[in-house]
Amino acid sequence: MAEIQQKETGKKKKGAQKKMDIHVDFTPMVDMNMLLISFFMLCTTMIKSQTLNISLPSNEKKENLEKTNEAKDSEAVTIYLTTQYDDDHNVVDNTVFYYFGMPYVEVDEATGRIGTPTSESKAQGVVKAEKFLSNDHGIQQGIRKVLHDRNSEVLSRIDELKKEKLRPGSQMTDEEYTARVREISKDSTISRPVVIIKATPDASWESVITTLDEMQINAISRYQLENFGGMDSLLLNDFLVKNPEYGQPLR
Amino acid sequence: MGKVKMKRKSTRIDMTAMSDVTVLLLTFFMLTSTFLQKEPVTVVTPASVSEIKVPDTDVVNVLVSPKGNVFVGATGSIAAGDDGVFWSTDTLRRVALQLAVSDFNAKTGKRVQLTEPMIEEFAKMNMFGVPIERIPDFFAKNSGDRDDWLSGKNVGQGPLADVKETEVGIPLTPISYTDQEGPKETNEFQIWMRAYHNAGSDMLTKAMKSGKGIAVKADHNSAYETVHDVLDNLQTIHMNRFSVMTSLKNLETE
Repeated sequence: MAEIQQKETGKKKKGAQKKMDIHVDFTPMVDMNMLLISFFMLCTTMIKSQTLNISLPSNEKKENLEKTNEAKDSEAVTIYLTTQYDDDHNVVDNTVFYYFGMPYVEVDEATGRIGTPTSESKAQGVVKAEKFLSNDHGIQQGIRKVLHDRNSEVLSRIDELKKEKLRPGSQMTDEEYTARVREISKDSTISRPVVIIKATPDASWESVITTLDEMQINAISRYQLENFGGMDSLLLNDFLVKNPEYGQPLR
Repeated sequence: MGKVKMKRKSTRIDMTAMSDVTVLLLTFFMLTSTFLQKEPVTVVTPASVSEIKVPDTDVVNVLVSPKGNVFVGATGSIAAGDDGVFWSTDTLRRVALQLAVSDFNAKTGKRVQLTEPMIEEFAKMNMFGVPIERIPDFFAKNSGDRDDWLSGKNVGQGPLADVKETEVGIPLTPISYTDQEGPKETNEFQIWMRAYHNAGSDMLTKAMKSGKGIAVKADHNSAYETVHDVLDNLQTIHMNRFSVMTSLKNLETE
């Protein structure tokens, strides 16, 4: 292929140069190309990063928001995030603490700690601990289960919608499906939780993102990131003193 | 028995076809590749199920290192916007640098002078994190040393030797100033973000307003406190919609 054939034509003249077949060796060319290919393959990024959109309340409007939260006590879920690190500052584990509605803060005189609630409704406000766990054969675990149960009304409607979409002969397009899912998750006639996420200063960024992610997974439309305040640290420390297996109390 | 005549075959393999294939592959990789952007600190982003891709154009990237150093960089458009003005990355960075420095000078009363070569060099930088007051010192360094310095290597050498490793990046220390409405507080990070916002690129301003134009990238191991400092500053300047960079997590495989 890379040769040029030359026919021997005519008689050989005296002193005529010996005819050679011209043959170009492509091996070095291939070598060089391979090197270049490997360079490009190693230096390219095929996978683009994903982004997660966050909107925070503006600093001035914070007071108003707190008022609206109080009004919808029964739907509120407050989440605290903590992270345990090893000696090299690598994340060992993330823990999620949560309570529903208003926190239960009645102090037991004998111990000086928050006591045991006497009624069902008050027990909602007791701080509990969970972990981030992924699904076990399609069954929710950990904090995902807690949030799933709180948002069960919305999620069951989404499940119905999914069934409708997957039914043979269904005409529903993907766009229509996502639009309807959004509609359901924002439907104010169904009871939906309001999740308030408060990360302790030491909580890892990963735990914050994982929590925001759980909101997406559980189709929770109302959630916000808030600052971890003094009241929160009192509640959390009380829990950590009683349950030392979840880590050291905060400073 | 008759002798079997072995025909001598040439061992030469024709490489032309092979070369054709490699050239094709090479062309493919050259055309599809987007190079890894050089970043001062390598961060591992946390995973999320979000499927929104990070935009290539009209975005201000905020990088928060695990130690809390903040870097800011911006990418311009690749085509003219609705108003017919084309803001390339180069132009955007040039204008933003001048805006940021003049804003800083106005608010602190300091006189930081920029020269044309500095602006030229700045426009080539993907991520920037130097206290504004020290910009001339920073560009007095060799170009190789600059990247090292930003990534926290050889910090105690040459110009800027007095800046500690923890002070690399854009400082979040408050700057007090007074304008017509009375005493106010800002910091260099806010100055930079405002500079990019006000640079004049219509597309970027819109993107920043909608939240797509601000991408915060932080390491999954860094404490919330460090990231929160940046988020809090964004909130203060009413950029409370933004996106955070994550890597892809597949829900089904969990």
